Amino acid sequence: MSSSTTSLLRTCLRSSSISRQATHGASSLRALHTSSRPALNAAQWKRSSASAWLQPRQQSILANRTRHMHTSPALAHGSVTRPAPGTGIKVHFKDAKGEHLKTIEANEGDDLLSLAHEHDIDLEGACEGSIACSTCHVILSPSHYDLLPEPSDDENDMLDMAFGLTDTSRLGCQVQLTRDLDGMTATLPSATRNMFVDGHKPTHH
Amino acid sequence: MPPVKLAVVGGGPSAFYVTSRLLSLLKPSEAPSFRVHMYDRLWAPHGLVRYGVAPDHPEVKNCTNKFDDTANDPRFRFFGNVNVGDTPLTSIPHTHSLPLRSLLQNYTHVLFATGCTLSTLHPAIPPSEYCVPALSMVHWYTQHPSHVPPPDLRKISHVSLIGNGNVSLDIARILLTPPHVLEKYDVPTSVLDVLRQSAVKHVSIMARRGPLEAAFTTKELRELMNLPDASMVPLSSSILTSAPEMTMTRQQRRTLELLQKGSKNAYGSTPKTWSLEFYRSPTGLTPPTSSSPLAQLTLAHTELDPRTRRAISTGETSSLLTSLVITSLGFHADPQTTFYDPSLGHLRALAGRIISSSGTAIKNIYASGWSANGAKGVLASTMMDAYAVADIILSDITPGEKGVQTTATSSNPDMILSSEFQLNPNPHVEDPPLEILEGLKNGTVTTYDDWKHIDAEERRRGEAMDKERERMSWSDARTFMSQRAALH
Repeated sequence: MSSSTTSLLRTCLRSSSISRQATHGASSLRALHTSSRPALNAAQWKRSSASAWLQPRQQSILANRTRHMHTSPALAHGSVTRPAPGTGIKVHFKDAKGEHLKTIEANEGDDLLSLAHEHDIDLEGACEGSIACSTCHVILSPSHYDLLPEPSDDENDMLDMAFGLTDTSRLGCQVQLTRDLDGMTATLPSATRNMFVDGHKPTHH
Repeated sequence: MPPVKLAVVGGGPSAFYVTSRLLSLLKPSEAPSFRVHMYDRLWAPHGLVRYGVAPDHPEVKNCTNKFDDTANDPRFRFFGNVNVGDTPLTSIPHTHSLPLRSLLQNYTHVLFATGCTLSTLHPAIPPSEYCVPALSMVHWYTQHPSHVPPPDLRKISHVSLIGNGNVSLDIARILLTPPHVLEKYDVPTSVLDVLRQSAVKHVSIMARRGPLEAAFTTKELRELMNLPDASMVPLSSSILTSAPEMTMTRQQRRTLELLQKGSKNAYGSTPKTWSLEFYRSPTGLTPPTSSSPLAQLTLAHTELDPRTRRAISTGETSSLLTSLVITSLGFHADPQTTFYDPSLGHLRALAGRIISSSGTAIKNIYASGWSANGAKGVLASTMMDAYAVADIILSDITPGEKGVQTTATSSNPDMILSSEFQLNPNPHVEDPPLEILEGLKNGTVTTYDDWKHIDAEERRRGEAMDKERERMSWSDARTFMSQRAALH
């Protein structure tokens, strides 16, 4: 799944907040404005000529703008559909201290950032999966890391700036699950909490 | 929990991330009397996300979706176009003034997230007709309310950027990208008009030290390398080798690899070119003369002191003919801000708390983001710092309470209740200060709801022009708001 599609789906995932947002005058304005266009599913969106002039990354911006089109109940549950218990790909999430947080089950193609959001795991996605930040950095179990395709230059550029980078670090939004990743561990990096930029030390001035 | 009414001064990413963290950890059922009022001196929220992020990086602005969610919390209010402080803001005369005293009298807690809003200038090259700070360029292409005049790019063929951080590379990229590529982004029409007439042929980016000390990130460098109409002057191999005893970080190794590979287009095959000039430190700028139409920038050659890793002069110099020098040497906080420390260039703060001049933490007054730490780091670092500051605030307002888990250090430092900066433990539950109520009445203070309408209208105007957004100025925004008010 491309990042733009993922991002589009993720904005659908966020649609639980639509009713809240619709109370904002502007959001209803925007909804009104976009309602003249037919709702596209993710695949149609990718093909639509309206997005042809956009760079792939920018599609996520437009995808966000179209979130109010997707109010159908089927999509309201978002990109991550939970598999029937016992049938999904198991992923173990651990916190920075290595303490077990949650074991979740996922479908093929789900990405770790969407899964973390679906399961209330404290992983940020400031750029919403468009490879423009490093906030969804996770550390993977080495054997599973080796099974993944190489990170793109764009992803590596962001990992350069990640805190607590390790040899098995990836951006959560770029890790898409396959059956052979069953049993993978994703650990949240250290130094993501209670850390003042640049290791600010208490000194008196 | 006793009533907590927090004023956040500043409306950029740090302010929003602290607020977002506090509102999400303090559920309305657990903290029904918790309120956050955010003040921005600009009429539009989001700080550098709106008035700093380069227009061709729209994906970085996705964080505003989260800020919108935060602003939807009924316990939150935003007041824009409000300058907190006792000195009027001369750079933006239309801001509504709110004396600090009024703020303190109306809140139980205050957070300063005022950022670093001023350029650090080069001591030897002050701003002139031939030298502008990078911030002026950024303010120009983001249509910042400070209304800087556009550079006359018709007369500029050679640009020299001093400093090699991401702001410097952003400016280089905007000057070197074909305007038709920028058209679809959030670039104001007036800016595109200037860029379409640009005579810029070459951009030199100067750095005092070498590639391993470079301040830019690999993403920004790669973007320059991949520009469709520009190419980089190849670097000499002597610059691109590291001392054998040195262990490079991953970022340093990848930067070197990129520099060795060079630009996608071969040097000379493109209408525009750019160069990285390492180990150069400018010492002066001579204006053009009748015989020489370009200004002359004098450069001291430098090398790295192996002990201190600082740049030291080799004694050699050279000069460069240039049309415009842009200094991009970082930012500092506004010295007019209370608690500004000139030796730091930002507010006197540590571990999230404002520190008095005698070195003690002042109770219930906090600082976060660039105003507390200086201008460094990307959005992710600002977010992490903000969450840490939110945890400090939480540890103060919910001491020992269960249900709110924070990772803040358990032992709080010695704190004083300042007599000079006295907060009000029992302010009006909902109301902002009187000055703000007046400003809301006469339309000089903006709300988040105003912003969402303006935001929607900017996007609508943009869509009609096949672009992301067409920005409004403050006068456009006021006209739009009064027309809207007349309709409703």
